Parts: sequence; structure tokens; C-alpha cells
Amino acid sequence: MKVNFIQKIKLNFVNNPDLSFAFFLAIAVYSYFALSTEMFASHNLSFAILERFAVLGLIGLALTICIIAGEIDLSIGSNAALCAVIVVKLTDPIGAPFAMLIGISISTLIGFTQGFFIAFLRVRAIVLTVGTLMLLRGISLVVAQEKTVMLTDFRVPDFITTKMLMYFSPASLMVIFIFILVGIFMRYTKYGREIYAIGGARKESLAAGVPLKRPLMIAFALSGFCAGFAGTVIGLKSGTAQGLGLQYLLLAGTVAAFVGGVSILGGKGGVIGAAVGSLTVNFLNTGLVFYAMQVHFVQFFTSVLLVVVIIFQTMSRIFDGYQTRKSYLTIIDSRSKILLEKKKNLNIS
Amino acid sequence: MVDPILKISNVSKNFGAIQALKKANFEINKGEIMGLVGENGAGKSTLVKIISGFDNAYDGDYFLNNKRVNFDNPVKAELEGIAIAQQELSLIPNMSVAENIFLAGSKVKKFATIKKLAEEAKPYLTLVGLNDIDPSIRANLLSVGEQHLVEVARLLTHEAKILILDEPTAALGEAESRRILDMVRKIAATGKSIIYISHRLDEIFKITDRITVLRDGETQAISNTKDLNVNKLAEVMLGRELKNMFPPKSSQIFEDTHLEINNLWPDGLIEPVNFKIKKGEILGLSGQLGSGAGEVLASIAGSLKNRSGRLKMNDKEFMPKNPQEAIKNQIAYCSSDRKKDGLFLGRPIFENLTSPALKFISKFGINMGYNESQFSKSLALDFLIDVKRVKDEAGLLSGGNQQKVALGKWMSISPEILLVNEPTRGVDVGAKSEIYQRMRELANKGTTIVFASTDIQEVTYLPDRVITFYQGLMIGEFSEKNIETTNIIKQITDPFNETNL
Amino acid sequence: MINTTNSEIQNQQISYVDKILSYYKERTLFSILLTIFVILFLYGIFSTNNYLTIFNFKTIIRDAALYGIMAIGLTFVTLSGNFFLLSLKETAAICCVSFAVGMSTGFGVEAWVGNFAISLSVTLLIGLVAGVIQGFFVGLGNNPIVVTLGGAGIMYGLAAWWSDNLVVSFRRPHDAEWLGTGSFLGLPTITWSFILFAITAELLLKRTNFGRKVYLIGANRAAGKATGHENFSMAIITFTICSLCCAFVAVAFAAQMSSAQANYFSAEFGSSGDMTILVIATVLVGGNSIMGGYGSILRTSVGAVFIAMIDNMMVLNGLNSGPRVVGVGLMIVFSILVFALFAKGSRAQE
Repeated sequence: MKVNFIQKIKLNFVNNPDLSFAFFLAIAVYSYFALSTEMFASHNLSFAILERFAVLGLIGLALTICIIAGEIDLSIGSNAALCAVIVVKLTDPIGAPFAMLIGISISTLIGFTQGFFIAFLRVRAIVLTVGTLMLLRGISLVVAQEKTVMLTDFRVPDFITTKMLMYFSPASLMVIFIFILVGIFMRYTKYGREIYAIGGARKESLAAGVPLKRPLMIAFALSGFCAGFAGTVIGLKSGTAQGLGLQYLLLAGTVAAFVGGVSILGGKGGVIGAAVGSLTVNFLNTGLVFYAMQVHFVQFFTSVLLVVVIIFQTMSRIFDGYQTRKSYLTIIDSRSKILLEKKKNLNIS
Repeated sequence: MVDPILKISNVSKNFGAIQALKKANFEINKGEIMGLVGENGAGKSTLVKIISGFDNAYDGDYFLNNKRVNFDNPVKAELEGIAIAQQELSLIPNMSVAENIFLAGSKVKKFATIKKLAEEAKPYLTLVGLNDIDPSIRANLLSVGEQHLVEVARLLTHEAKILILDEPTAALGEAESRRILDMVRKIAATGKSIIYISHRLDEIFKITDRITVLRDGETQAISNTKDLNVNKLAEVMLGRELKNMFPPKSSQIFEDTHLEINNLWPDGLIEPVNFKIKKGEILGLSGQLGSGAGEVLASIAGSLKNRSGRLKMNDKEFMPKNPQEAIKNQIAYCSSDRKKDGLFLGRPIFENLTSPALKFISKFGINMGYNESQFSKSLALDFLIDVKRVKDEAGLLSGGNQQKVALGKWMSISPEILLVNEPTRGVDVGAKSEIYQRMRELANKGTTIVFASTDIQEVTYLPDRVITFYQGLMIGEFSEKNIETTNIIKQITDPFNETNL
Repeated sequence: MINTTNSEIQNQQISYVDKILSYYKERTLFSILLTIFVILFLYGIFSTNNYLTIFNFKTIIRDAALYGIMAIGLTFVTLSGNFFLLSLKETAAICCVSFAVGMSTGFGVEAWVGNFAISLSVTLLIGLVAGVIQGFFVGLGNNPIVVTLGGAGIMYGLAAWWSDNLVVSFRRPHDAEWLGTGSFLGLPTITWSFILFAITAELLLKRTNFGRKVYLIGANRAAGKATGHENFSMAIITFTICSLCCAFVAVAFAAQMSSAQANYFSAEFGSSGDMTILVIATVLVGGNSIMGGYGSILRTSVGAVFIAMIDNMMVLNGLNSGPRVVGVGLMIVFSILVFALFAKGSRAQE
């Protein structure tokens, strides 16, 4: 029994080189920092990492789903910033729970609307979200009146960050729960498969009768929701929000998605990959902050991580091309014996 | 007399300049197998796309069980009991066979593991003869024929009342085709109606009760099968005597070897092939989808990988690894899918015509327009494309004219060898004739032409020589008087006598 | 034969009607923008005091020149079907810093301090390298968005590190005054540069084999490959052209400001939001197809002037950066939607 289980895991890794690489990167980055800094593997820092995961993980998940669907949401950072501004602004007058509800609803609605336009007007997401990236940023600036909005009552954020079970907080637990839900959705439901289908083989899936609008709108509504949630957590935790903030989320989230094994061609990747990718970026960010590196260096090294993944994926794609050709030729050769026999036994003039 | 359960009347459909259907009619009774035949481009696929709900932008009436209907998506049609297995493959390559079978439609379970799906897929796979396939493997690991069978299996899961099969046996050998035919008969016997589209007239005559003939988007006839025979049917399909469409073959004896194919082993073939192409001839490679005919052409032109191969032309030995190298060696290749890589649809026609020959219309890389204008106009004239419209976008042309541009552009490099895959796919009868004429003229002037085609008429009446392929093997060769439809069909569907015909 | 001639004529007649319709549809985005343009123009005249002055027009064109030149470079990338770069402002940032470092410290060589030629050469080299590397990865088949997202972070990090995240300034007057603040026949040098770049680029696109290849590969990459034109070299060349344009703009801007900082061109510094989006907007608003194969430098230039006019109008009306960003954002989204609704099916979709 035990042997079978190990064999199954081995097989999984061989069949999923991208996911295996993701795990490898995650372990490598974590080990590097754990070995070079004493404090890295401590309880407090692990809590901080999971806290960050509550934001980054969700963005990574959202971008993963959009990329699997064959699109991308470039406006996710601006959407999160807008939600942060709304939530921080509204918390004082109407209290955090209602503010959160309104903020996240608006973000989800924005995501849904984008999905609507992409699905019904057949605009490429890559194009539309360039525009909405700017539009939402402008709206955030207007709502924040070009200032930094702040909470006056700092008791509220404390709830968000209460430690539970040593490592977790309400926010990170919520996010883990969302991950599990979305994971089951993508892998085992018809609607999740539709998202994979329209991403990996758009023409074929349409010819097979797969609806285009439903999976696209689901993917983008989810993206909007995650953006809103992430913005809320950041806004309430830090107690401040800016119109121009959170731009780095796009880079961090994209890197997380790619480390996790998505392909820009769509149809590949999964929720586990999203989690591993987000954790890797997280380890990197937290570790660098620990080295007291400035923001631009964190961006720099995150981009280096992206380049590493790009190089790996390029090589993996070439290798995969060889492998597919090899399997194809093997299948052909397996038929050859029988057919060649038949041909030999024949007299054709 | 019971009313037909499905009736289409006066349906017309345009794609821009292309009139796919002109007031077409169609009907089918309960428990009937209706054959739908017509040349490429006659409108068959368009018609069944409308019937199955993939297209709802048309003029005309569509009645189902005497109720008027108009489906804006295929799921709605499926709810009314109509399902289709399309001609173009619609499997998701990276997904498992099981997931592909249960992908869309109202019967698909909302929640299921792959194991469960594999279990449920097994019986349907057995029905189509794929009982040895593991449903959890990726779909792109199957052969073309097997993939088409999976599509049929998917069709069966919908448990529709009206099933549409669009060229289900195009890539299958004789034995597998028979199984499909048996399956169709059994299903019809249970009271279901089946619309069967096929190029293989022998199949049509074996199982259908009635036949609808489409030509150039119009319904020519809806007759009982027993009132027709192959020749009469071919005439109705073409609207003219078959032989008038093709130019006379060359009386010349072709002796000089133009291109020698040595040990060429393209991906998809079972063993390497060796043959010679003679100067000035038109050579036809005949075989079904996936048989190797098209693969050989693509490989010669460097568009498809091969395990080995050496070409020899004019005492020079080479093997193109990409299209650029083939062009350098004066070998032109026109693929079977002009929309995919044969045309720049958004660009003007003259740009299309000169696209392989940029260095001939420019000096030091600079193109002031005059040379190109003259050059493209003469190319257009050659291929009977309206010279006045040479500045229009290529996407506005009809199918036949688009094919003329896709083919004609290669003449801009004055190739020694012209390779064409499916020279008249999706082309109306009139343009077909013009293209055949032009091909013969080019061959007479010294441009050797090799084409691959799944169209039996084309392969019988156009080329001077025919080489046959079956399931990745080169089978035989015919020349002069021996080129006959029955001979060719035998070699490309059942060369090893595995069924008793 | 008679049958075929008839159907041929029928086909031709149908396509003639279609031709007219498509001609009109093609120009729809243009005509809608033109209408809005005229309306706003008239509104501008009546509502703002300074609108109809020559000075104002010169300001508009000068503002447009900065992102216009970068947009001209980006147009090559977009037309060839390689989408766009997300690293435009970072390329400009590192080139800006490079030029300023060169002018102020001579890259460590005493003799090179203030030497325009040396600083320019090094800066252009940096732009070239940035373009070649990113283009190389894209040519290998990676998505331009992803590659340039990575490139952006790397270049920004390098720019900030090189300048210690401080302002690098060099003394006035300097050898590049003619570029930064000079003028010729009444127009600033940067405006002349814009005009020159535009004319050269349009000639390159319309009258050379290279330009033709850009359009062909953009229209259908697979067909391009089948006729012997590969995207690998095209990606590298177009990316390099774009990066060099960014480098040029960076040098002009540094010359104008007599200084450089890593966050020049970023949202915090700029007026209407970050440069990258502004440049992409210019290309899109002008009506170039994002999928490639359709468009021109003329369209891009009109897009630049149009955005500059709207922005100018908003500034004159005293709007803050927030509403201005909203304004530009709306313009982009609007152009995209109009283009998707009216452009021919083959271009708007897939």
C-alpha cells in the first residue's frame, strides 16, 4: 500500500514537470532564507508569511484562473486598490463589516462586468484590462480625493490579525478555505472543466458546444472578488489606502501564477500550483524585507524569479515538444509491425 | 403520411461575400437515415450547423415537430434532442478522453471525478469500437481516426432523437467504417433519426433511406436512395458531366525526373517512402485523412518534421527544415487550410500575391509600389482573379477566389515544384474548374505539380499519375488508363482485403 | 461556363456592396473619435480662456511628442502582432538615469563628464540591449506581457540601484540643451523629433520590405511562416526599435529636466498616470488593431495628439490628477469597445 502511494506521487511529478519545478523553487527559496537568517523559520515569521499569503495567495489564485481561461486580468491591482480605498473610507462611518461587504461587492461587480464585456463583445482581456487598469486607478484617486485615506479607529484591524492556532488569522484561514473551494470547483465540476477547455483550446471547445460566456464571467468575477478581498485585508491591516497603491500586486501575482505552472497559452495549471507559487513569491518577499531591502529591490528579485520561470518554461516547452513527438512516434511504431506484415503478404502490381 | 420531424425551408446564409446557402430545403422523418451529400463548399456543414444550433443568423424557416424553432446555442438544440459530431475535430487536446466525452451539454454531471467519468465513458467507447482505450489518457495521444470515434462517442452520450454525423469515416479504414455503419443502422432501428454526411458514396448507398443533394448552397433533390445510382448521384451533385469539369490529361510521356524523394520518413508514416516526381507531370497523392498523403507533401516542404529524408533536384541534394529553405530551393507548398496559413485575410489581395516574393518587387529592400502593382496584376490575371479588385482585402473574397489567391501567390516565386494539399477544399464548382485548368496549364509550361486530396473525383480525373496511401503506408501507383475510381478507393480504404466486399 | 460567369458576377456585386460597407466600418472608430474630437474642441474653445492660442497648441504637441515618440516605437511591435511592452516606463527610467549619470559623472571617467555623445551612446546601447533581450525571449515563443513584466521589474531595480534612488542632476548649461529646451523655427526640438520620427517610421512601414513583413506577420503569423517570414527576428527588431525610441525620449526628458530619477515616468511623478499605459493608450486610441496587421504611424500620431488635447483641456479646466486619469482610462476603454463593436470580425475577435 505504502509503495503504491509513493509511486503515485512520483508519477504525478513526472507528469507535471511545471508543478514539480514549482515545489522545487518553493523549497529552494525557503531553504535559502531559512539557512541564511536565523529568524526566518520562527513562529512569528511564519505567521507573517501566512498573513501575506492572505493577500498574495488570493491574487495569485485569481490570475491563475484567468490565465487558465486563456486571458489575463491586468487591472487586478487597481481593483484591489479601489476596494482598499472604499473599505478604509467607509469603515469609520458605517463600521468594518458593512464596509467590507460593500467594497468586496463592488470589486466583484467590476470583475463581473469586465467578464461580461470580454464574453459578449469578444474583446481580448489583455486589451480591455489595460484600459480598466487606468480607469480604476483614476476612480480610486477620485474616491480617495488624491489623498491617503486613513482609519481613525485602529481597533478594527486588530481583529483581522488576531492569531489563531499559532500561525493563522481569520484572514488567512478564510483564504485557505477559498483555495480549497476553488480547487474542488476547478478539478471536479463541469464549470471548472469549461474554464480549462476555453483556455487551452478555444476553437475546439466552442465547436464542442462549450459556452464561452459562463466560464469567462465566472473567471473574471472570481478575479474581482479576490482583488476586493485582498484590498480589504491590506487596507484594514495597515489602516491606510492610496489611490495609486498596490500596483506591485500585478507583478507579484503574475509571478506567483507562472511559478505555479500556468502556461500563457491557457488550459494548464491548477489551484495547488497557485498556492505553491504564491508561497514562493511570499518567501522571497518576506525574506528580502528581512534583509531590509528597499522596495525596488524586492521588485527586482521578484522579476528575476519570473525570468527564471520563463527560462524554465521555454526549455520545458521545447522538451515537451520532443516528448510529445516521441510518444506520437512510439504509437505509430507500435502499429507498424502489424501493418508491415500485411503489406508484405500482399501482391500489388 | 406522417410529417417529417424536422423541416428546413428556404434557408439562406451568407458569410460576407460567400453565399453558403441559397434557399435550401431539408427534411427528415422519424427513424430515417437521411444522407446529405454535395461537393466541398456545397453548404452541408453550414446547414447542419444551423440545424444543431451552432448558427442562428440565417433567413428561412426551421420546424421541429411542426413547431417553429430558432436555437441560439447548441445546448438549446440538444435539449430538444438534436446532437452533432462535427467534421472538424473538437476535442480538447490536453484533456482526458473521458473529460472530452462529458464536456458540454445538459446531460453532463455537474460534479464528478475523472475516475467516475472514465467508468461512465467506457460503454460509449465500446459502442464505437474503442474498447481498448483507457479513457483517462490525454486525447491528443490518439490517432486522427480514433479521435473522430471519440467525437462520435461523445455524440452518443447526448441520447438525442436526431443525430448528425458529419464525415465520421473520413479518417477510418474499411473495417472501422463498417462498425460505424452497423452502429448507425442499430440506432435508427430504435426510432432515432440520423443525418449522415459523407463523401463516400458507397456508404451512402449502403445505409441511407433517402438522400438530399446540395450544390452551391441550393438543394438539388431529395430522393429515395433506391431510385438513384452512383453516376446519377454524381451528376446531380456536380450539375454537369463529371468529365467536363476537368481539363484533358496530358498525352505526353513523362521521362525526366524532376525531384527525387529518397528515404523520406515524415511523422505519421509507418515507414520511409521513395518515389520520383517527373518533370511537367501532375502527380496525385490519394489517401484518407491521416493516411500519409498530406503528410508527405508537408514534409517535403519543411512544414512537418521527419525522421529522415533526402531530396534531389537538378543534381543538388537537400532536405528543407522549414518553409524558408523550401522556398529557397524553388519548392512551393500550399497547405490544406488557407484560413490558417494560406492567406493574410486582413491585407489587400496584391500583398497576398506578392508575399513570398518580396525581394522580386523591391530594390535594396525599398518598395515604391510600381513593380509590385505590375507584378500582382499579372499574377491575378493568370489565376482569373479580377484585376480591378486587387486592392481589396483578401477576406472579402468568396471561397473559390480565396483559394485562387492562396495558390496563385506561389507563382510569384516561379517555383519548380508546386505542392498543394487539398487544392479545391471549400471551393464552388465553377472556381474548381478554373483552378484545374490553371494547374494543367502550369504543368504544361514546366511547373511540376504534386497534390494530395481526399476528393476521389479530383484524384481520378486530374493527375497523370496517382500514388495511394493507407494508414501511414504507401500502397501502390497508377498511371494512364489504370487511374480509375474503383481501383483507387480499394487501395485507400481496404488494400489488405480485410473485409469481404 | 455561363453558369459560373453569372455566379462570379453575383459574387463580385455582393462584394462591391461589402466593400463600401467595410470601408465605412473601418473608419468608424476614426469618425467617432473625430466627432468627439470636434465637439470637445469646440467646447474647449468656448469654455476655456487660453484654448485657442498658438502657445497652447504648441504645448499640446510638445506634450504629445514625449509619449508620441515612444508610441511610434511601440506601433511597430503592435503591428507585428507582438502586442505591447509593459516595460516602457522602466526602459525610459533606466535610460534617463544612465544619461544623467553620464552627463554628471562621465561614468567615472573625468574626461567624459558633460560629454553628450558618450552619454547618448551609452544610453542608446542600454536601450538596444533591453530591446534585444526582451525581443529574444518573445521571439522564442513567450508571451510579451509576461516577458516585459519581468523586464520592467529588473530595469526599475537596476535604475533605482544605479541612482541610489536619488535624483541625479547635472549642471546647466549642458551640451544637450538644444534637445531638452531648444527650439527651431518656433517649435521645440522635441516636436521636430516627433515629426521626424513619424515620417521616417511611416516610410519604413509602407515603403520597405521590412515594413511589409511587419504587416504580414502581424496579420497572420502562421501564413507569414509559410511564406518564409519568421517572427523570431521580427520580435527582436521591433522590440529594439521600441526600446530605442524610449531611450531617445528619456534622453530628451533628462536634458529638459537636467536631472533624472528612477521614478520619472511613473504614476507618482507624472501627470496623467504612468507612461506605459499612456503610450499603449496612444497606440490603441488611434485605431491600430491590437492583434496586429492593421494600422499605421499616422493613426498613432493622431492618437497622441488626441490624448494630449483631452488632457490639456482637463488641465485647463483645473481638474486634478484623479479625474484626468479617469478621463484617459475612459478614452482607452471606449476606443477598445468601439473598435470591437465595429471593426471587422476577423480583427476584433481572435
